[in-house]
Amino acid sequence: MTKRLFPKLRILRIDPLRVRPGLGEMPLEASLMNKKILLFSPALALGLVALSAGPAMADHASGSYGTSLDAINNSGASGEVWVEVDGTMATVTLNASGLAETFNGSPYPHVQHIHVGAQGTCPDMSADTNGDGIISTTEGAPFYGGIGTTLSLGDAGKGPETGVDLTVAPSGSTTQYKETFELNQETQDALEAGTAVVVVHGLDPATQPEAGTSSPSDLVPELPLAATSPALCGSLDVMPAGGAATGVTTAETTGGSDMGMLALGGVLAAAAVGGGALLVRRSATAGR
Amino acid sequence: MVQPPEVALALEPSAPVHLSIPALGVESDLLHTGLREDGTLDVPPGDDGSPASWYDGSSTPGSAGPAILLGHVNSLTDASGVFYRLRDLVPGDRVSVTRQDGRTAVFEVYRNESFVKAEFPTQDVYFPVPGSELRLITCDGYVKEARRYDDNRVVFAKLVETV
Repeated sequence: MTKRLFPKLRILRIDPLRVRPGLGEMPLEASLMNKKILLFSPALALGLVALSAGPAMADHASGSYGTSLDAINNSGASGEVWVEVDGTMATVTLNASGLAETFNGSPYPHVQHIHVGAQGTCPDMSADTNGDGIISTTEGAPFYGGIGTTLSLGDAGKGPETGVDLTVAPSGSTTQYKETFELNQETQDALEAGTAVVVVHGLDPATQPEAGTSSPSDLVPELPLAATSPALCGSLDVMPAGGAATGVTTAETTGGSDMGMLALGGVLAAAAVGGGALLVRRSATAGR
Repeated sequence: MVQPPEVALALEPSAPVHLSIPALGVESDLLHTGLREDGTLDVPPGDDGSPASWYDGSSTPGSAGPAILLGHVNSLTDASGVFYRLRDLVPGDRVSVTRQDGRTAVFEVYRNESFVKAEFPTQDVYFPVPGSELRLITCDGYVKEARRYDDNRVVFAKLVETV
């Protein structure tokens, strides 16, 4: 929504920076402008309502998402991930194999995340901007973004705060991960926008260029670069909802979909009117 | 590590053109269909003789992952749609898909099951399996009084040969 919203505001010559901080606290001296927006753009009014009604929209990512995980940095690993979102709860299943097996004689910890907020893609070697032959986590960020969710084990926190906590990461060359937890808003938004990317970290230094061992990690400087660099990556795609209407029935073929369109039109119109009322009320309050 | 054939044989992606199911006498060109606004699978038209379709958000048949093919069980005018006899497929039956690149992917049925639509096992059917697999989906469980289909039939098959 925001992407569509701001260009329209710019056309209307409203300073986007003033409007940006939570449309709930819209600068009220601009109330006249708001009325113009309402008059000229019902679609924009809808956008404002959608943004200000945060809690009501909290489960908008409900559905199924999945992807195969492909090797990066020549890790030789492979995997699959499935994210089932029901309301704000997510169940994540992640299977990986061919990962680095041991680290200092112990099972190799592989931190894994849902990255958010960038292009929603996985990096190729062009991401290796310092030319050391390894795509570091930071170098991949313009493609997959920052950490939205940490796919940690058990009750460990699932936000960015546990992002580099090796003690709560799955470990070993083959991992089978399944956890259910509350999905934060950033990750829900990214799933809906198609910008959520699963990344599994941790490379075997023996398979990496010199820098994997000799350079410090960009995330945890006490560790070598290979330890935290990406090994697997996959961009989450929305999966079909349920089965398919592969039986031809009379109900379906006698204008049923037209009725649906009409009903939807009615809902949109009502929402636009509701949004308008909301904005006018805000403007009035603020004018005092 | 020895890979199963559906992984080892997997081809590069190429869009599917034609479907053959010799055991059922089915020969059908493949439409390309997507998702509806509500996130469910779009389906081919309901006319008599309507072909099957490939969901264009799924893997291409013969490449890694599950390729999803859809076909009606009936048509507007009679009881027989392109997937009318899908329930008759048994493990070991073969299904072939020819592709734009001229290659043919041959799959072998390993499972044929009917699910209540309201409890459709989305993850089971669409999970991004590492090998090249096929899902054939049609309707089942016709409720005569309500004139509707309450179930989906899903045939699961794995790549066994490429030509």
